[in-house]
Amino acid sequence: MNTPLDNESEDLRYAEYVLGVLDADARAAVEREIASDPHAAAEVARWQRHLLPLAEDVPAKAPPEYLWARIQNEVGAGKSPQRTAASATRVGWWNSLSLWRGFAFGAAAVAVACIIALIVMPRASFTPRAAPPIAYMASAIAQNDGQVGWTATMDLQHARMVVVPAKPQAIPTGRAPELWLIPAGQKPIAVGMIAANAPTMIALPPALVARLGPTAALAVSVEPPGGSPTGQPTGPVIGKGSIGAAVPNVSGKPVALVLPDRSAHSAT
Amino acid sequence: MLQTPMNQSATDEREVLARLLRQSGGQDERAFAELYRRTSSKLFGVCLRMLRERGEAEDALQNVYLSVWRRAVSFDPARAGAMTWLITLTRNQCIDRLRRHRETSLDEIVADNLVDPMPGPAAHGEAGEERQRLEHCLDTLAEQQKAAVRAAFFSGATYNELAERCGVPLATMKSWIRRSLIRLRTCLEHFN
Repeated sequence: MNTPLDNESEDLRYAEYVLGVLDADARAAVEREIASDPHAAAEVARWQRHLLPLAEDVPAKAPPEYLWARIQNEVGAGKSPQRTAASATRVGWWNSLSLWRGFAFGAAAVAVACIIALIVMPRASFTPRAAPPIAYMASAIAQNDGQVGWTATMDLQHARMVVVPAKPQAIPTGRAPELWLIPAGQKPIAVGMIAANAPTMIALPPALVARLGPTAALAVSVEPPGGSPTGQPTGPVIGKGSIGAAVPNVSGKPVALVLPDRSAHSAT
Repeated sequence: MLQTPMNQSATDEREVLARLLRQSGGQDERAFAELYRRTSSKLFGVCLRMLRERGEAEDALQNVYLSVWRRAVSFDPARAGAMTWLITLTRNQCIDRLRRHRETSLDEIVADNLVDPMPGPAAHGEAGEERQRLEHCLDTLAEQQKAAVRAAFFSGATYNELAERCGVPLATMKSWIRRSLIRLRTCLEHFN
């Protein structure tokens, strides 16, 4: 293992640390040095100045929008200790992508349809006297064959939506499903591109949240991968679903999630 | 004539980022949002390049910005630029993840070619001054050693993994990279 260079260039470990070639133990050792020894910290800073310009070669890539929603939630959860335990739990399960993945792949389409039937309340519940504020809404997006293609759960308080594929029909190669919100008697409003094989989280702008309700519907159309070029659906509409309130259970989670949530708990 | 305004705007951008980073450390939510808007694409690119898996890259980026929120107060503009600080944080987050999941990611890394496929912007004269200087110094290395340094930087792989990937003994890989680092140091510090 030892080469003559080992002795000749003791300080190279700071360069090796910045370059990223050290194993976990050696990295930890350098990090301890940085924390306690100003010389080590200065050497590491010097090598950062030397080597980090290489990062200019890495192409930038915009992260998905839901990531910012996740970060904001974490940041918010961390800085307001007066938050109730219930809302902290809510942030936790909502952000668990593995839970949503489990929901997507674990639940059979039939089960999803049953669950949605349970949680989507009749429209009569949307009377002005519906006392507790509605925290969640849900929609089962049915396809032409009657099968549920996607389920959408909307978290109004945090202005976000998770769209989970149940049994979506095959999308032609080079095309992608796009989700639309259709307020009654109005033109569709683009919500975002959704995946056919994984849950998609979408941050909702306030104007969109304001239009969610029992008179609006969600629809999915087949579009170019970057979305409709016109701002209106250009491809065939393959799914449609009305929007209803999701009834929270005692723990504050929509009952639609009781099943997958339990399985997620037992899995972890 | 063109040089001056471009350098000016680069300096402005550096100052704006440093201010936003300091304010984020002071729990200023608007500054934090603006910092995210300006820097997240670059940092996500770094995560994707190093981790090669979207879900992992998203989780890494989330942790990076949580660290920014909690630790930006320790950012010292006298020591490093804001972007250097952010990229370092991102690289460290990715390398730590790679070390934790080394067994699973090694197969993917092995499949990857040693020579980085991307032609750097330095080759096109669009890079910053520091990047161009580094490219000049990298050009003084033997082709194989330059490739090893680039592969190490972009993959975050250990000496062992790099040696395995190139099919050379560990001592050879260490020697390539250490000699390269010594040459780079000499070359880069000659400029200052």
